[in-house]
Amino acid sequence: MLNPNYEVVVGLEVHAELNTESKIYCSCKNAFGLEVNSQCCPICMGMPGTLPTLNMQVVEYAIKMGHALHCNIHRICKQDRKNYFYPDLPKSYQISQFDIPLCETGYLDVLVENPDKSSYQKRFGVTRIHIEEDAGKLLHSANIDGSLVDFNRCGVPLIEIVSEPDFRSSAEAHAYLETIKSILQYLDISDCKMEQGSIRADVNVSVRKKGSKEFGTRVEMKNVNSFSAVVRAIDYEAARQIEVLENGGEIFQETRRWDDAKGENVLLRSKEDSQDYRYFPEPDLPTIVLEQEYVDGIKESIPELPNIKLIRFTQDFGISYDEAQVLLEEPEKCAFFEESVAKKVCSPKIICNWMVGDLTKYLREKKLSLGDTALTVDAFTALLKMIEEGKISNAAGKQVFEVLLTQEHADPAKIVEEKGLAQISDDSALQAVVDQVCEANQKSIQDYKNGKTNALGYLTGQCMKATKGKGNPAKMKELLLEYLQTH
Amino acid sequence: MELFEYTASQLSGMLREKKVSAAEVTQSVLDRIEAVDEKVKAYLTVTGEEAKQQAAEVDELLAKGEPLSPLAGIPLAVKDNICTKNVRTSCASKMLGNFVPPYHATVMKKLEGCRPVMVGKVNMDEFAMGSSCETSYFQKTANPRNLDYVPGGSSGGSGAAVAAGEAVLSLGSDTGGSIRLPSAYCGVVGLKPTYSSVSRFGLVAFASSLDQIGPLGRSVEDVAMLYSAICGYDPMDATSAKREYPDFYANLKADVAGKTIGIPEEYFAQGVSEEVQQKVMAAAKVLEGLGATLKTVSLPSTSYALNAYYIISSAEASSNLARFDGVKYGYRTPEYHGLDEMYEKTRSEGFGDEVKRRILLGTFVLSSGFYDAYYKKAKLLQNRIGEEFDQQFESCDLLLTPTAPDTAFKLGENMGDPLKMYAADVCTTTVNIAGLPALSIPCGTAANGLPIGMQLIGPKFSEQTLLNAALAYQQETGCCAVAKL
Amino acid sequence: MTIDIQHVAKLAKLRLEEDQAQRFAKDMENIVSMVQQLPDLPDTGALIDPDHPMIFRGDVVEHHYDRKELLANAPQVKAGCVVVPKVVE
Repeated sequence: MLNPNYEVVVGLEVHAELNTESKIYCSCKNAFGLEVNSQCCPICMGMPGTLPTLNMQVVEYAIKMGHALHCNIHRICKQDRKNYFYPDLPKSYQISQFDIPLCETGYLDVLVENPDKSSYQKRFGVTRIHIEEDAGKLLHSANIDGSLVDFNRCGVPLIEIVSEPDFRSSAEAHAYLETIKSILQYLDISDCKMEQGSIRADVNVSVRKKGSKEFGTRVEMKNVNSFSAVVRAIDYEAARQIEVLENGGEIFQETRRWDDAKGENVLLRSKEDSQDYRYFPEPDLPTIVLEQEYVDGIKESIPELPNIKLIRFTQDFGISYDEAQVLLEEPEKCAFFEESVAKKVCSPKIICNWMVGDLTKYLREKKLSLGDTALTVDAFTALLKMIEEGKISNAAGKQVFEVLLTQEHADPAKIVEEKGLAQISDDSALQAVVDQVCEANQKSIQDYKNGKTNALGYLTGQCMKATKGKGNPAKMKELLLEYLQTH
Repeated sequence: MELFEYTASQLSGMLREKKVSAAEVTQSVLDRIEAVDEKVKAYLTVTGEEAKQQAAEVDELLAKGEPLSPLAGIPLAVKDNICTKNVRTSCASKMLGNFVPPYHATVMKKLEGCRPVMVGKVNMDEFAMGSSCETSYFQKTANPRNLDYVPGGSSGGSGAAVAAGEAVLSLGSDTGGSIRLPSAYCGVVGLKPTYSSVSRFGLVAFASSLDQIGPLGRSVEDVAMLYSAICGYDPMDATSAKREYPDFYANLKADVAGKTIGIPEEYFAQGVSEEVQQKVMAAAKVLEGLGATLKTVSLPSTSYALNAYYIISSAEASSNLARFDGVKYGYRTPEYHGLDEMYEKTRSEGFGDEVKRRILLGTFVLSSGFYDAYYKKAKLLQNRIGEEFDQQFESCDLLLTPTAPDTAFKLGENMGDPLKMYAADVCTTTVNIAGLPALSIPCGTAANGLPIGMQLIGPKFSEQTLLNAALAYQQETGCCAVAKL
Repeated sequence: MTIDIQHVAKLAKLRLEEDQAQRFAKDMENIVSMVQQLPDLPDTGALIDPDHPMIFRGDVVEHHYDRKELLANAPQVKAGCVVVPKVVE
């Protein structure tokens, strides 16, 4: 627990690799995990005389994200060179954007969950989004005296999303990152595979006394490789800074490296050795000039985004934050939910319960996605309607559901009929069962009358047994009570 | 007359009339290289076998009567900063001493279809930085008109090879005068095309916003022929202009009548030798005699152009040459401990002094706190210089200036004095700064026996006007001859 | 003005002997003082040229280079990779 006299202030720089077909500045394939140095050409290897050409799709994807985060899109912008030496950077400069990014001054509405499972909505500022190229990878091996360079990742397109320092807890930072990730996935512009490094975050942390208007000195943290590591890294760094300040020390502007295994960070470089990147306009690439119509057209293609859906689902359908998160995990699942609700044959709540429960469990166990199953919106909602109307029991519903998942064109009503799963709701048939059961269990009736109310449960169970589980439990209970009162 | 002495347009006709074969032409040039290159030292690599092979192919096609480009079978020397697939491209630097590109520059690809015969790669100032060809790591090229003098730079090998008859045509590159200065010093014709009209893909970059590949030859026709073959939009170069280009060679006609030629007074001022001024003004009179109108004009920012040029070109160079780090290709120092030492030793040993000087200047002007005062200021000045030219082109078709303030200087004379060396570029850099086309053509000989060149400058994409005017002048005064060696 | 030539050299990954450094510093100071005579022009903001807009490339995968060919010029190669001195970050 952090010292309650302090407030933590966090800003995030998210790098997301875009899932274009080709790289940003050459026609090499943008692919992960292939043989080392097999997806390269003279351009992405920075060979002398080669020149970059900008992939249109990269611009379009970045603008998509810009619209999603309510940014101003700079129709006229440029690219710049960021100069530094490193073996994974073949040209010894990275083509990026410096003073005019493609997208600027936006925001993101995020639902943040409290520790007590309640949630609140907060708006976080987005400073800018710019396009740039990724660097290669250094490989290390104990057998080799030196490091190996694999250039496959050189020139993979990236967007960098820079936030305002608006986060006041690691939970807010985490919720923001999850939201960014889900938006990237909804827009289908990034695979967001953390383990492949396709989405990465640099974290800036400072602390200040509560009530203070001034920001503290910020420390940048590198090598934070997962969203859960972001939470740990922020909490650790905030605690470290507070401890320093409480002991009369001073925080220095520096870059620290997070070691998630050890759960601590170490100094990477101090401000004095901060790099001088000597940014200047990339002379090999002319000014980016986009038509207003084109930029607007991209905006129209953007669907409702998961963060907005999350707010709508929890407010309109009485669905909890956690349940809504599960529905939003995949755009496909979410679309299925919304189509099911739109049928208006059963309640959103029962659709949610079945999707979050049985369906999600099934998909996870089988490692399938929804599209891999035979389930259709029509069959699914027809089944749920039967359950809600009491035509079949919940347990029978699960049997039908299993068939719907695996059998193409299955009709739930037919399955119910074939398997004889229909509930007996007919009064006369049930009355006969109740009469029969009660006559055979006079002792229980006596117990009930003597105040042992749990005898009712036993009698209901006996009735269910007599109907082989098909009696409508509610109806049966009703008839039993009537019998008890009249006899 | 030996075959190597003919111009490309003459040879082109002779080949078609079957008076000579491409093999004979190529052999003549290879023999000339064999005979004189020991003295001239224009070539870094001679590709004799490949050349003979290419010439044989041209002869076969000629025999079959296939339609061929006028360039087919013409011996060509290529500056060693233009990437040639499977042929060493060293930029005259120790850094790239063993570099063999697995790709062609776009100009080389375009030329493949025209079938000139590449006889070799020629010397230059290291990474095209210099005005004398003396900063080459490998050798100092001599001026074929007088071997004690420099050929000019940076395309000194190109100018010397063409002047010496060691090539009929040559490709050079021009960042601040690197085609025009050797053309003037060696007494040949050279064209620096409009920025963006020739693809830079495969030209090892010195200053990306100023570099341009262009032709050198012994006649205006030859230069037009080669330029027509290499210009054009290239999707591989984002700075290349998407437009249609006429056939400059086919459309070439001696024509300067009715044209207004501006004479910018700043180019006939202090620092430009009397003799050069006189010869260029005499040439102006010749053009006037051919029907042109002369007009004195002013380009007031000229005196700042050289400074702006050094800032912009060095800044870009410092970044462009950062890739030479001993990692992926080129020289790597043999002994090192750790990455930083590998970088520093590699770069310090691999680059010569002039290259280091410019990298340092460029690094400085881009470094934190100095960007606005130097780089940005120079870029703003660049716009101003462009505007001044535009203004003059409202009333002038062309501008006429000296190409260089003086004739070639002696080998070694200016080494060690960068400012004096840089002054040789004073008349040429403005053109690069403004992205304009300019042509240098000989306009007489100085008392020391060395050639003097004049520079015709036109608005963007006015190459045809430039070439036509130059041809009119050439027809009046004569074509350049091969140097006696 | 005096230029911290060794700092600049460090940024450019060059190593200068002291006499060489002094020579370069002097050359540079000369050039820089020449540049300081440049007139001040009104700052028109960022350095962009919308009159010459970029032509984009379509998102199409093309041509394939052989790894051997691409690494043929590398000073040191092992296991299909370029080898550099050990780096940790």
